[in-house]
Amino acid sequence: MRPLKQRFNAWLTARLPATDSLALTQRNVYILPTRPGWMLALTLLVMLVGSINYQLNLGYLLTFLLAGSAVVGIHVSHATLRGLTLHLAPPPPCFAGTAAQLTITLSSAQRRARHGIGVAIHGQSEWAYVDVPPQGSGTVTIGWVPPGRGRHSLPPLTAETRFPLGTFRVWTVWRPAASVLAYPTPEASPPPLPSGTPKAGNATATPSASTGEFDGVRTYRRGDPLKAVVWKRVAQAMARGSADLVSRDHASVQSRHELWLDWSHTGTANTELRASRLTAWVLQAERLGQNYGLRVPGHELAPAQGSAHRLQCLEALALC
Amino acid sequence: MLTPTTPAPWRLRVQSRLAALPRDARDTLLWLTLVGWVVLLQVEHIPLWCSGLTAAVLAWRGTLAWGGAPLPSRWWRLGLLALTIGATLLTHRTLFGRDAGVTLIVVLLALKTLELRARRDAFVVFFLALFTLLTHFFYSQSLLTALGILVALWGLLTALVNAHMPTGKPPLWQAARVAGGMALLGAPIMVVLFVLFPRVAPLWGIPSDGMTGRSGLSGQMQVGHIASLAQDTRVAMRVRFEDTPPANSDLYFRGPVLGQFDGTTWRSPRSRLPVPLQLAHGLRVSGPALRYEVTLEPSQQPWVMALDATPQAPALPGHDLMLTPTLQWVSVKPFAELVRYSAVGHTRFRHGPLTAEVGLQDFLELPPGFNPRLMALAQRWRQEGDPSAPALVERALNELRTGGYLYTLEPGVYGRHSADEFWFDRKLGFCEHIASAFVVLMRSLDIPARVVTGYQGGERNPLDGFYTVRQSDAHAWTEVWLAGEGWVRVDPTAAVAPSRTAGLQRLAMPGGLMGQALGTLSPALTDHLRAAWDALNNRWNQWVLNYSQSRQLDLLKNLGFASPSWHDLGYVLAGLLSAVSLAGAAWALWERRQHDPWLRLLQQARRQAQRLGLDAGPDTTPRQLAGRLQQRYALHPDTPAVTAWLLQLEALRYAPSPGPNANLSTLRRAHAALRWPSPTD
Repeated sequence: MRPLKQRFNAWLTARLPATDSLALTQRNVYILPTRPGWMLALTLLVMLVGSINYQLNLGYLLTFLLAGSAVVGIHVSHATLRGLTLHLAPPPPCFAGTAAQLTITLSSAQRRARHGIGVAIHGQSEWAYVDVPPQGSGTVTIGWVPPGRGRHSLPPLTAETRFPLGTFRVWTVWRPAASVLAYPTPEASPPPLPSGTPKAGNATATPSASTGEFDGVRTYRRGDPLKAVVWKRVAQAMARGSADLVSRDHASVQSRHELWLDWSHTGTANTELRASRLTAWVLQAERLGQNYGLRVPGHELAPAQGSAHRLQCLEALALC
Repeated sequence: MLTPTTPAPWRLRVQSRLAALPRDARDTLLWLTLVGWVVLLQVEHIPLWCSGLTAAVLAWRGTLAWGGAPLPSRWWRLGLLALTIGATLLTHRTLFGRDAGVTLIVVLLALKTLELRARRDAFVVFFLALFTLLTHFFYSQSLLTALGILVALWGLLTALVNAHMPTGKPPLWQAARVAGGMALLGAPIMVVLFVLFPRVAPLWGIPSDGMTGRSGLSGQMQVGHIASLAQDTRVAMRVRFEDTPPANSDLYFRGPVLGQFDGTTWRSPRSRLPVPLQLAHGLRVSGPALRYEVTLEPSQQPWVMALDATPQAPALPGHDLMLTPTLQWVSVKPFAELVRYSAVGHTRFRHGPLTAEVGLQDFLELPPGFNPRLMALAQRWRQEGDPSAPALVERALNELRTGGYLYTLEPGVYGRHSADEFWFDRKLGFCEHIASAFVVLMRSLDIPARVVTGYQGGERNPLDGFYTVRQSDAHAWTEVWLAGEGWVRVDPTAAVAPSRTAGLQRLAMPGGLMGQALGTLSPALTDHLRAAWDALNNRWNQWVLNYSQSRQLDLLKNLGFASPSWHDLGYVLAGLLSAVSLAGAAWALWERRQHDPWLRLLQQARRQAQRLGLDAGPDTTPRQLAGRLQQRYALHPDTPAVTAWLLQLEALRYAPSPGPNANLSTLRRAHAALRWPSPTD
């Protein structure tokens, strides 16, 4: 029984067009009675039989008024979703194992308020509820944990309402076109960063990793970061009456040593662990303000730093 | 300097506390209020302990919600449930049947609130409350009941809608508006179903206790029995005369005739004579015919209340009526619903044999060993005075008029010789004491006599001319047989208290506090208000409660069905249903269409472009369309005109000033006249 239902659901979602913006019309809004809805029908039947048996005209009136309200309720329920436009903002990347934040905007052009619309991943029951004001929009954010690193197309989403009486479930299933990128999970306690390797073609340079004034200094050039200024020398120079700024010559370090994060030098053979470790190193190197390069199979990123570089590296790690 | 008065601090506190209540607590309080209202409607019909318990439980639960305290444990609920089931058993001696059922359902509703977590249990409380509402109709279907129940239904729907607004703490008026809107839109559905849903006979027998609580005349008469009826101001029936109504003193509506007396109880005569020897009614009417129409409240009795005397069967479709030898119209089955019938009556009539017949023996029997003093009195009267029957009747009436007898509704309890006690000792009583003693005396005098019960009088509503006959108008009078005249109506109560039958003074209405206050302020206004209220009630009865199968069939006749049956009702209902569905489908189609006329025009242009093989998706603008057209059909003679039109279309929507005569209709006309390049060119 179960596989049949799953297969039916799979078939149902597969035939939906993938889109990031879905206008709800009569074609894609479904409605079925809920269990309380069947209970209400049964109650109405009992009330009708009671009215017939005791010949209660007022009983007929009450029964029919309730039935009439329930019928109107069906329409109200359906109209809560019909005419609504769902829009999914491009989901930001996340690390594998954490939830991607899917932000969905529900907007309505009609002049009636819509209440109690729940949005969830299709097949799950963690609903995020939102009200949509007249001719306005409401926003919900739901989380979805991608199954692993890499680029994943989003699962089908569903929007549902039981407003106003809870006797009918009105829902729609929506297959977003967007995909979410999951970076590898950073290793929790990775080994220390590998040491820099001598730059190719500069074999005469001393392999010393020590830093300090011997790294070389030069006069300040516009654009040098303040932390590169050798304040000690500046103070001495100012004492001598000169106002020249002096910067550390990083180029001289970088010209000799490069930090390469290499897929083949991670100390493990496990692919996922490699990706995790490299991710942790990327984050660590970025935090330390070092330049770093990344070598993964089929991809090489020259040493650099900055958030754009970091994102490039993470993306490369996610997709390799 | 004036300072604005501030409300009492406790009121402020309550208000601010109410506003600061968490959502769940507020919703729970709403449910509790509704349950309280639903039970309040029932309070007359449930035992006192049940009302008390419900009030206590609601107050308890309300306090818990107010203070945010935890709910009582399961043992509390189970214990209370066991206790109440025991109490129900003690009160009603059963757990089944109507009254016990109503008590139980109220108890369940109250106890359910003890585990009410507003949203989750909304449906359970909703359904229980609905059933409680329905049971209310067993007791009353009046206009006030309907209003009370309408309020309850609105409240219940509001609470249910509120339970399905999961975000934040929406104000209750929002839910109330949605619920009210649904009920308003549902009202036409209700009217159609009410009018057209075929009224069928009960599907199975009504349990016997459905008949209690609706007193009326009963088929027998015990001392003190009609006393309780006299306090009952509920309406028994409404009567409308088509022409001049008869005098109030002629308004006798005949019910069961009681001819058999066992010393304490009068019962319907059950003759020991063979059928051919029993009396026939032998009715002969004279005088003007009075056409009248009666709306009889459900009496659970088969008696057709008819004006004394009505020779032809009242027109009452669906019921087989017959006239008993004692001149009473009865139906084969009791009236469980409001019925309406029209008939022709005559207030001048004679009935019964003119000469002495064997059958009269039935109306001379007296139980031995009762009322010896009255027997002795009869013996004395026959010996000392005029022994003719009319003279004896007159003498007895004269005695009642002048002997210091008093008409009262509270004569107290009578002993074994009730007629003796009334005639000689206490001289207090109402119609049944008087009638009973009078008939006993007549029979002691060898004059055939019997008690007739029914309704006498009625109150005419000046607004619509309807007479309202209440249970308090129930009456017992007598008939004596006189040779040459037949049965003659004698109302001994009129001899004791002439006003009782002359319509001068009604039994006092037990009004509420408000009614009493109004009555002391302005009796005329009170009368007017009551008349208007009665007229409104009458309309309600005529149009809602009396809406029966015959009315339905009349309606079909007016719609053009020659001989309507309830199948036709089904057809009309199905026809209406399919018409509404078709209208719904048409509306859905209409809604799917593009409503913006400008977009519709653009869509037509896109379709024409697609026919030419151009790329014209739903997001193509007029300018893009024009560009693609020029690309493909640059040399075609029709292209410039179409391009110009497309640019005009764009200008109409987006140009700051689209031009003096740019409007949709000219564009539409231009579009109709436009020749598009054809792919074959």
